[in-house]
Amino acid sequence: MFNDLDPLLHSQLRLAVMSLLISVQSAEFTFLKEKTNSTAGNLSVQLDKLQEAGYITIEKTFKGKKPLTTCKITTAGMKAFETYVDTLKQYINKPL
Amino acid sequence: MKTESENLSAQQSLEIITSMIAQAQGKFQKNVFYFLLWGWVVAIANIGMYTLIKLNYPYPYVAWAITIPAWIWSMYHGFRQSRDRSPSTHFDVVSGALWIGFGVVVFTLVAFGGKINYQLNPVILLFSAVPTCASGVILRFRPLIFGGVLFWVFGIVCFLVPYEFQFIAGAVAIVCGYLIPGYLLKSHQPEKHVQ
Repeated sequence: MFNDLDPLLHSQLRLAVMSLLISVQSAEFTFLKEKTNSTAGNLSVQLDKLQEAGYITIEKTFKGKKPLTTCKITTAGMKAFETYVDTLKQYINKPL
Repeated sequence: MKTESENLSAQQSLEIITSMIAQAQGKFQKNVFYFLLWGWVVAIANIGMYTLIKLNYPYPYVAWAITIPAWIWSMYHGFRQSRDRSPSTHFDVVSGALWIGFGVVVFTLVAFGGKINYQLNPVILLFSAVPTCASGVILRFRPLIFGGVLFWVFGIVCFLVPYEFQFIAGAVAIVCGYLIPGYLLKSHQPEKHVQ
C-alpha cells in the first residue's frame, strides 16, 4: 500500500516539516522544533535528508551572537509536496 | 514525533498536513489588530469631522489628528511583530504589500488633496475596497469581501451626497468594512480557515 507515495515525504516528521514550510516564507529551526514537538537531534537529521533531496534549503547565520538556522522550501519541494497530496487524494477517493 | 513511514495511513498523513498548516497560520489573528485599530480611529475621525462641521468649527479637519498616534501605534506594533520569532505566512507578505501600497496612496492623496478640491473621502473609500476585498479573498473570509464591496458602494454614495454627509457615509463604511469583519475575524479560530 502507498507504494506510489514519495517515501521521503511519507514520514510523520518530514511531512510535518514540509507542511509547515509550504505555509510560510521561511522558518527558524526553533519554530519547526516547537510546532512538530520533536527533538533537536531527530529534526536535524530529517532536515538534512530533505535538504539532500533538494526539497528545502537550510541557511545557517547568526542573530547577534546566537546561531540561527533558517529553512525554506524549494520549488522542487513544493512540486514534490503537491504530487504527494495528489497521490494521497487518489488513495482516499479510491472505492473500497 | 516519529519518523517511521510504515504505519502512516492516508488519513493520518492528511491530519498531519492540515494540523501543521493550521499551526503555521496560528498567528493569523494578530493581523486583526490593524483592522480594529484603524476601524475605530477612522470611524471616530469621520464622526468628529461631521460633528465639527455641524458646529461650524473653522478647522473641522483637526478631527483627523487622531490618526497621528494611530500611525505611531501601528508602526510600534509592526516593529514588535517583526521581532517575533514566528515566521511570516504568504498572507502576511501579500497583505503587508497591499496595505503599505494603500498607505502610500492615501498619503499622496492627502498631500495633493487641493488638486481634487479635497474630495478625498470618495476616492479613499474606493481605494480601501481593493486591499480589503483582496485580504478577504486571500483569507477566504466572506465578511471581509463584503466589507470591501461596501467600501466601493459607499465610495459611490460619497460622490452623490453633500460634503458633510460624506463623513457619515465614511463612518458607516468603516464600521461595515473593517470593524464588523475585524471582530468576526477575532472570534474565529485559525483552524476554521484551513480548507
